[in-house]
Amino acid sequence: MTENQRQSPVQFSVPALDAEERDRWPVVLEYADEGEGPDLVDLSHLTRWDLQDRDLQQFRPGGVVVPERPGSCAFGNGVLVNRMNRTQASIWHLNPGEPPGPPSESALTDVTEATVFLALFGPGVFSIGEKLTALDLSRPEPKPPFLIQGPFSRVPCQIVVLERSGETDGGLLFTCSRGYAADMVDSVLSAGREFGLRPAGEKAFLRWLSSVFPETE
Amino acid sequence: MSLMLTCPVCGRRNGYEFRYGGEDKGPRPEEDGLTPRAWCDYVHMNRCAAGPVKEWWFHRDGCGSWFTTWRDTTTNLEIQPPEDSE
Repeated sequence: MTENQRQSPVQFSVPALDAEERDRWPVVLEYADEGEGPDLVDLSHLTRWDLQDRDLQQFRPGGVVVPERPGSCAFGNGVLVNRMNRTQASIWHLNPGEPPGPPSESALTDVTEATVFLALFGPGVFSIGEKLTALDLSRPEPKPPFLIQGPFSRVPCQIVVLERSGETDGGLLFTCSRGYAADMVDSVLSAGREFGLRPAGEKAFLRWLSSVFPETE
Repeated sequence: MSLMLTCPVCGRRNGYEFRYGGEDKGPRPEEDGLTPRAWCDYVHMNRCAAGPVKEWWFHRDGCGSWFTTWRDTTTNLEIQPPEDSE
């Protein structure tokens, strides 16, 4: 039987230094000429689910309780759960280990290949964000992690502010429809050029993630 | 005219993020004894009032919530519900 190859919609024009295949996804672990940050990392290979039900509190994706208030997030066991509205939550598996397999509940939908998933982190990230969206990503309340849903570079996105330190430093994760991937990456890299933004591999993301959530190490 | 709307989940946002869902006409009429004319009026007829109107909006580019809000159609500004609607 032929096995289908899975393909990220993001292609950086930088040679990969280290890569591997995982669950039929080619995953770049490190790119040539990665800088000191800020970094843009393609995480489209990480499993993402949507959860929809009239009673979200009965679900424990990855053992994590779904937050009650829309816009709030919960992280545990490598799983980030973002409450979107009264009946929906998004579930992002940030742990690069063994993929969780197909969802067992009918309320869950695997949207991994429907969206692009990017991480933007490092110094000056919120200055880059200000060039791309009118959404207030660096607002003082609530404390990260929190979810904002709205246009980023004019494209409807789910944006999770995962870390904020100082005025402009920190990091965020965001998803949008897969078809916008090339233009989204192009506009983010263009906006971040003056801040030294470069593509980075999964290793850089995991270093940052373990600095935000030390228990993921 | 510019438009800002207040989503119950995301807060005050640019009107371009929303899709208009029509006037709020109240609950769906009971089917017992419902005439075709009454149903047609419920579905298709609008007040088209110049002034405060209660409307449905969908936060298309945001959280995906449907909600109702009041808008003054002469100024295109979101307004507090008139007292007699409470």
